[in-house]
Amino acid sequence: MRVTIHRRTRRGVALVALMASGALALSACSGDSGAMPNDDGGGDGDVEIRYAWWGSDDRHQTTQEIIDLFEEKNPGITVTPDFTDWDGYWDKLATATAAGDTPDVITQEERYLSEYASQDIVADLGELGVDTSEIPAETLATGTIDDTLYGVATGVNAYAMVADPQIFADAGVEMPDDTTWTWEDYVDVAGKLSKGAGDGVWGTQDYGFNEAGLAVLARQKGETLYTPDGELGLSKETVAEFFQVSLDLMANEGQPDASRSVEYQNAGPEGSLLGTNAGAMGVWWSNQLGALSDASGRELELLRLPGESQFERTGMYFKPAMYYSISATTEHPEESAKFVDFLLNDPEVAALQLTDRGLPSNTTVRESILPELTAADQKVAEFMEGLESDVVDNPPVPPQGSSEMQDIMIRINTEVLFGNLTPDEAADAFLKGVGAAIGG
Amino acid sequence: MAVIHEVARTRRAATEHRKGDGRAAALFLAPWFVGLVLITAFPLLASLYLSFTDYSLLRAPGWVGIENYTAMFSDPRFFQALKVTFTYVIVSVPLQLVAALGLALVLDKGLKGLAFYRSIYYLPSLLGASVAIAILWRQVFGADGLINQVLAFFGIEGQGWVSHPDYALGTLIVLNVWTFGAPMVIFLAGLRQVPTMYYEAAAIDGAGRLRQFRNITVPLLTPIIFFNLVLQLIGAFQTFTQAYIVSGGTGGPVDSTLFYTLYLYEKGFGSFEMGYASAMAWFLLLIIAGMTAVNFVASKYWVFYDD
Amino acid sequence: MTDAPVRRAAPSDSPAAPSSGAAGRGTPSLSEVAAAYPDPPARRRPAGPRLRRLGKHVALVVFGFVMLYPLLWMLASSFKPTALIFREPGLIPTEWDFSNYTEGWNALLDPFGHYLLNSAIVVLGSVLGNLVSCSMAAYAFARLKFRGRNLWFAVMLMSIMLPIHVIIVPQYILFSSLSWINTFLPLIVPKLLATDAFFIFLMVQFFRGIPKELDEAARLDGCGHGRIFLRIMLPLSLPALATTAIFTFIWTWNDFFSQLIFLTKPDMYTVPIALRTFVDATSNSSWGPLFAMSIVSLIPVFLVFLFGQKYLVKGIATTGIK
Repeated sequence: MRVTIHRRTRRGVALVALMASGALALSACSGDSGAMPNDDGGGDGDVEIRYAWWGSDDRHQTTQEIIDLFEEKNPGITVTPDFTDWDGYWDKLATATAAGDTPDVITQEERYLSEYASQDIVADLGELGVDTSEIPAETLATGTIDDTLYGVATGVNAYAMVADPQIFADAGVEMPDDTTWTWEDYVDVAGKLSKGAGDGVWGTQDYGFNEAGLAVLARQKGETLYTPDGELGLSKETVAEFFQVSLDLMANEGQPDASRSVEYQNAGPEGSLLGTNAGAMGVWWSNQLGALSDASGRELELLRLPGESQFERTGMYFKPAMYYSISATTEHPEESAKFVDFLLNDPEVAALQLTDRGLPSNTTVRESILPELTAADQKVAEFMEGLESDVVDNPPVPPQGSSEMQDIMIRINTEVLFGNLTPDEAADAFLKGVGAAIGG
Repeated sequence: MAVIHEVARTRRAATEHRKGDGRAAALFLAPWFVGLVLITAFPLLASLYLSFTDYSLLRAPGWVGIENYTAMFSDPRFFQALKVTFTYVIVSVPLQLVAALGLALVLDKGLKGLAFYRSIYYLPSLLGASVAIAILWRQVFGADGLINQVLAFFGIEGQGWVSHPDYALGTLIVLNVWTFGAPMVIFLAGLRQVPTMYYEAAAIDGAGRLRQFRNITVPLLTPIIFFNLVLQLIGAFQTFTQAYIVSGGTGGPVDSTLFYTLYLYEKGFGSFEMGYASAMAWFLLLIIAGMTAVNFVASKYWVFYDD
Repeated sequence: MTDAPVRRAAPSDSPAAPSSGAAGRGTPSLSEVAAAYPDPPARRRPAGPRLRRLGKHVALVVFGFVMLYPLLWMLASSFKPTALIFREPGLIPTEWDFSNYTEGWNALLDPFGHYLLNSAIVVLGSVLGNLVSCSMAAYAFARLKFRGRNLWFAVMLMSIMLPIHVIIVPQYILFSSLSWINTFLPLIVPKLLATDAFFIFLMVQFFRGIPKELDEAARLDGCGHGRIFLRIMLPLSLPALATTAIFTFIWTWNDFFSQLIFLTKPDMYTVPIALRTFVDATSNSSWGPLFAMSIVSLIPVFLVFLFGQKYLVKGIATTGIK
């Protein structure tokens, strides 16, 4: 026993060392296929591709219907779904990728696209021949890094102010003109709403936890979160100004105290101020209007963010809701490309999916579904159409490391709300934190 | 018993066949050993190797020596994570153990319907890590939650217990004590293992209940108390789920619940610094192993075994 | 094993030998062993402390309510339409809505029962694995003498000191190379191989609490380690085995991370993964169905605990040694 244990251990250690250095290196860069070995299609030309996405039950069901439709139209190709919620999705994708098991077709997001593109884990869709002729060039640019198309936007969203007209009416406050209102007006209106609407109803929900608001303000001032070469493009003044708005709103009680703001931030659309009829305004992605309207039971409106005519230019922009990408190591690039093509361009897909992955990026397809949309989604479509002519450009793909920005934003904004940092100090800390994240 | 022992000793002296149990041990340990070599060892040693690399999950690892370890010591958030975790361990482990032992004694015997109460009290520990929990906590500990409604009834203005940096960690400690179910069950099982004859003998000697508790229950329960202490300590150092849920994964508000493992997870999967995360993990292992070793040494002075 | 006088924890004199037969044959038979641990005497209940018992009950009920409030809230919410869960957070729904249960059951690609079944397979495999493999390892650590015992014990404990997040990737690579991804094998096989050190340690502690005279005697009577393990240690450790079974059940049932990573096809998903797919931070969340299915998935664990705890409570004497 003793002897065997010792001998076995020594051999075990050697094996482990070998595997540790070898296996990780191999699997991380070489191309094992996305499909599980035992799932590989047989010799009869049957091909199986794995499609991974995040979301909740509604999306899973419609996506399955879309997959069924695709399989019906493309006999010989089987699409295996692989879905989970947002947080789980990225852990799972990273782990599978580390082991060389990247799914064939993956959904990507702004904050992670650079990370995956930089290691050539996702393929050049232009090379694979995905038809993108009906997608506007500006939209395609949002998935292009160094002239390579790593992801095609499924659809677009805009970051917008959602307002509850009923609370405005109850409080006796007029809805602002969203093409002309300034950031000062916003603070002012929120304060009046809180006063007019009575106990437990607030003017607005704190906006400082999401960098998108900062992006809009920066763009209004001719700056940008990130430059096209992946540097920070913000001045300290702009960041400080951004945090100052929250402080002004707390001072005039236009928004809840720090503790409540933190709680509402964690509560999602359903538990938000708007969702629980406890607040008149809040900044959200346009595709969340449906969820907010359902939760609140009211007809909510979309407004542009304040300050659109206050500074140098407009700041509103279209953000790709998510991207379709294809694994660079897929064994079935052709079929995968065919599937992505289908997802992007088939009107029947759009009819099932509607705006669940953003307002479709394919403009012809977009037109075709307009009549089918719910009231809330029609509002979104109208709002986006109105925005079209005023959007100057869209921000470039955020650089590697930008997935950390949201956490940094949340942390520093909380410090500001609790009074631990002045807006000036917060701006310094923010720029330093994000700089380190994208630099290292 | 004494008689058996006497006989046993005579027999043993006569036969003199005992050496070691190597062969039997090999058999009994075979599954464990196979598991150790095939399943446990590789990931363990791989992570040790990775802790000396710049592994990012998406890229093959490159050797960087002790860079990750030195970087840890100039990372203020690393120290914040250590502070949070140590505070939590030192406060919550003893509290939870006392609660668990206390409840186990109350729910042990002598009252009708104890099975029901036991199950009820275990229920919170069944909840696990479901996403629903975050909502439940807000309902109870939120600024407008149940606790503050009760406090308001007494004219006290409460706080956002999970959303205020000064109180969030304390609230998590309370939450941990609240899920005392697991150690309680182990204590209950331990209490059942105490042979009743000891109590009977003690009762004949005229020992009161307190003395029985101190002289029989506690000594015979020490292996179980020790077990709970060691395992709760190991578990508390690795606390993740509660903090992840309550803070939405950020360790907030303002890093007040930035548990060590939460930070490590954030580094590994959020920032793609798996090398750094592995280094953190092995540093944690050293801490835990050290603590556990101290525990084992100390146990010689207070834990009673029958062998 | 030891030649030194056996150390007794109990302060009073060692109780006398259970039966005269022991001396005659040199070792006690197992039924005599059982007799050494008689049933706990039925407590007499005089009428006097009835009030005190009532007080105890009241205290236990009140405390129970505090313990249960969040759960009751979840139950109540499972009967509310999603939109009202946050707008009307009271404990009594103003509007009863049972559709969350039907909707939740059918919300995903397979009926929810499918995920319950998958979880059941994983859980039962794990329970079986832990019971067999951990108790075996524990017997070796608790009762056998072999070289390097302390060292191996330390190694065993060390294996639970690393957070899962740094070992999941190497684990995935390992299981992937075995083609085990998207099967239940990565979740069950490790349990069969005693990788859950928690339970080994737990049983070691319980085994060490069993008086050594019993197996010493059995050994002299010609019992091998296999028989001692099966006929003495296991029956006398029923509470520990029940604890192991219950905890393995609950923890596996609730374990999210490894199941998420190792299972990729939806028809292999287990309950924790299924529950997570009701809520997504970036799109609509179905809170109502989530609460409903959370309640549904709590029922099996609760029942297991309710039945299992009977065995925790059974004293050694009632475990039926034959």
